[in-house]
Amino acid sequence: MAFQNYRWGTAGIGGMFGLSMTITLFFPSFDFRSAESTWVGLDKSMSNGRTIGFSYEDPTVTGQGKPLTVILNKDPKTGATIDPPVRAYVYRPGTPFASPLNHPDNLGPTVKRLSIDKGKIDQAVKAQGAVFTINHADVNGEEWAYAENASVTRGWTVDAALSTAGDANTKYVGRGKSIYIHEGCWWCHTLLPEHTQDWQVFGTPPYLGDFNGEMPTAFGSDRKAPDILHVASRNSSREWMMMHFFNPRLVQPNSIMPRFDYLWGRVDVNGNPIDFSTWRKEYTAYRKGERPYPPEVPEYARNAEIRALIDWVLTSLK
Amino acid sequence: MLFKYLFAKNEDIPAGSATIFFGFSSILWFIVGTGLGSFNAAKLAFPDFVTGVEMFAFGHMRQVHVLAVILGWISMAFAMTMMYMTPALGNTKLWSEKLGLWTAFLWNVGLGTGLTLLWCGITSGREYSDLIWPVDLVVIFGVLLPLGINVWMTIAQRRTQGIYITNWFFGACIFMLITTFLVGNSPELFNLTGLTEAYLTFWFAHNVLGLWITPVAAGIAYYVLPKLTGNPLYSHRIGHLHFWSIIAFYSTPASHHLLSAPLPEWLKSFASVEGVLILIPAVAFVANILLTMKGRWSMFVENVETKFTITGVLLAIPLNMQGGFQQTRAINWYIHGTGWIVAHAHLALLGMSSFLEVAAVYFGLQQMMRRKLYSLALANVHYWFFIIGFCTYWISMTIAGLIQGAGKIYEVPYIDVVIAEHPYMIARWVGGTMVFTGNMIWLYNMYMTAREGTLVPKGRYAHELAYER
Amino acid sequence: MAWKFDNPLYSLSDEEQNKRAITLWEAERHGDLWAANNRLPFPVTLLIALIVLTAFMMTMPIWGQRPTAELYAPMVQLMDSPQVKGMATNKEKIAYLTTEAMKAHEQAKDSRLPGLLERHPITWSDLQLMAPAIREIQSSGGTYGLESYTVVGDQVVLANFEGMRRPDGKRLRTQPWFDTGFIIDMFYVTYFIIVMVLVCKRLPHFSQKANPKKN
Repeated sequence: MAFQNYRWGTAGIGGMFGLSMTITLFFPSFDFRSAESTWVGLDKSMSNGRTIGFSYEDPTVTGQGKPLTVILNKDPKTGATIDPPVRAYVYRPGTPFASPLNHPDNLGPTVKRLSIDKGKIDQAVKAQGAVFTINHADVNGEEWAYAENASVTRGWTVDAALSTAGDANTKYVGRGKSIYIHEGCWWCHTLLPEHTQDWQVFGTPPYLGDFNGEMPTAFGSDRKAPDILHVASRNSSREWMMMHFFNPRLVQPNSIMPRFDYLWGRVDVNGNPIDFSTWRKEYTAYRKGERPYPPEVPEYARNAEIRALIDWVLTSLK
Repeated sequence: MLFKYLFAKNEDIPAGSATIFFGFSSILWFIVGTGLGSFNAAKLAFPDFVTGVEMFAFGHMRQVHVLAVILGWISMAFAMTMMYMTPALGNTKLWSEKLGLWTAFLWNVGLGTGLTLLWCGITSGREYSDLIWPVDLVVIFGVLLPLGINVWMTIAQRRTQGIYITNWFFGACIFMLITTFLVGNSPELFNLTGLTEAYLTFWFAHNVLGLWITPVAAGIAYYVLPKLTGNPLYSHRIGHLHFWSIIAFYSTPASHHLLSAPLPEWLKSFASVEGVLILIPAVAFVANILLTMKGRWSMFVENVETKFTITGVLLAIPLNMQGGFQQTRAINWYIHGTGWIVAHAHLALLGMSSFLEVAAVYFGLQQMMRRKLYSLALANVHYWFFIIGFCTYWISMTIAGLIQGAGKIYEVPYIDVVIAEHPYMIARWVGGTMVFTGNMIWLYNMYMTAREGTLVPKGRYAHELAYER
Repeated sequence: MAWKFDNPLYSLSDEEQNKRAITLWEAERHGDLWAANNRLPFPVTLLIALIVLTAFMMTMPIWGQRPTAELYAPMVQLMDSPQVKGMATNKEKIAYLTTEAMKAHEQAKDSRLPGLLERHPITWSDLQLMAPAIREIQSSGGTYGLESYTVVGDQVVLANFEGMRRPDGKRLRTQPWFDTGFIIDMFYVTYFIIVMVLVCKRLPHFSQKANPKKN
């Protein structure tokens, strides 16, 4: 062992680096694996589908291959009234299942057991599609949420669920989150209220288990705009959201948010082309004080990207 | 001009080709990166500046700015320095110039493709690891691994007994960067979800910075400064302390980025302590470099490369004081997620790290092209644009961050914070634009150096010659 | 390896090895560049010791302490008393209640409480809004006591300290003053220091002088 013999040094670096990786990667993995999914976690992951962001089913990150979230106030099979209405996650045939449905280990040990024993999620088949809901069960005096394959347990079919809900109660939540990622909204808005007085304005920070199966979590780190994890609890007006997305300065003159009018696409709800240049001209005139009112924001088409985005905001960010 | 060597025999490629290719690529990416930064800053100050076009929306361009600077400018400048420092320190030649040229070529192509996709919104949605996984694989196996092989082989076939500290950094940091890329992108490759994904995102973000950007920049300073001043490095063993403590303490504090997320509390406590301990490598580095300057401080004024290097080293002091303490629970609650962090990130990347690399690129390009810098005046203009622009940015964003932090704690309606920040957003834009302008001048200067710089005679260094303009 | 037991911190190499190493080192140039081997200046050594100390002191979880529901329990208890009801303004009421709570906390076993209360004052309206929740937790006798709940404005929520467990296996919801992370840290830093000493002691114990010819 002589000076400038590097065998020991290299082994030392390996040992040091290995130790640090053990502590920061291996040890926490036990904690992560034991995290039990909450209702919020189940809702987010099942409405987001397999993954948001680049994937086989959605290479352009525009929300293809995503499940639909429907609000049911009637049982799709029996027609009996459901009160309060429940959320169901409709996976049309071929739509890839959310990660916890494929890998129930992601749900945490207890929720996994409930979801398989009571929820029969292991019996769902991708090629046939399935409808999932979230149910609750009591284990040792504590209430647990678990995923339920309603196609098996209640006989709800994909078509019946979609037609019962109708267009108004069908929410493009998964597609909306894709657009949130695609448009980079999360460079300014965070999804993580902090452990300080932040709570009072932006609501409770998320709990362990609120993220199981979610990908990406997109917390955001650089806040140039309000946290929106609970924005729909503060403001649930679809019309306000519409105006705010089209041109944030319509509702908040000092906002620095970009205009997302291009998410409306080419046509409005009636199929008429949207004339953006006229709209901007009229808006400029309004800003200069030449018009008393700003121009009307066009109603978006049923399949416009903005619909999905607003659906996600109002459904998922409660 | 260098493309003809891509298919030449390795022996026929003149030494330094890879350095020159990487050097000019890095300057170009620096211009792209700072240009995008300036454009983005304009949008934050004036939201209706270029509006209504999806491709020019802030959310489409912000990540392109970040990655163009990290993977284009900084990492390519690193590769450039590795191409000339590693062989020089081993008294040998680069293992393969051809591999170096191909790495540079593939790097430009791969990064160009990845950033174009990113610009179109095709992203993995994970901060800093936004590139989609196929591009990540290209980066790992097409760029980082060949670069690593070239550096490791050059070190292995050195003709000295010892390995100089810079090469320790180079060799180890490429290895750790590859590890970081593989582990950090595993959520995309294997669809890991939830908290694991959130944690690994910031694990990646932190380790790219801590195991690549800061240590390699420091390694560069260990080479450039003794070279320019002619002094020996003050201490080999302080270099050891620096190197080891980087590996020990900089690879662990990832979870201090997520103090508000429901990560295990013990992990946050561990990370917070480690986070303060990054001051150890910082102290070792700054002490070692400043003591090396003994007796040669006049070069800080006279020599432009020394000026850049020492500025970078001095900026490491506030950088690490901020970095060490802002991540503790005691301070983080106030400034987390505010402009303070943006200022800090720019202090690390645009301040400390970039200044060191700019010096190394100036030095290396002159050395490898065997040509003296075209104009000292332009280099000084570059320096002053850079430092004034950077300080404007840094100070304005720090103030904006403190305003935002106060707004957060005192529950000020958010829109009032936006209004209060407006002047600082304009200052930020002005500062960023100055840096961008300085870089354009730099590119012109380097281009003219390549064409018209005085030839440096064999056995001499460019910085030993007098300027002619 | 020749460890000198009479002078353990001198060098891990014997004289013969040292001599060879010095010859090699002084002769060797890395592309016209070489490294001296000066000692760490003493003030810098002190600074590093200070950093290690600061790192632990600075990050104690106590700094992250958020107001617990326990803090306001005495105020809730007293808020319906005739004495408080008789007061004219809310300011007066809350000032009185704070003084009383402070007195109660000073007698209590947890010495952190008075300081916490000082740092987290509360308004009368917030106190009114959260009082029912605090009473319910107190009376229900559930798994977690008041100390496990955090007060945020007018809300009382279960604290978020996942990652630690109580002896009974349930999650710990109170902030431990010294947790697992710190224990791992102690080992980790110790390991680092041992490795670092070994690395430096393997270097020859000399300080190379700068080459006068170069300057």
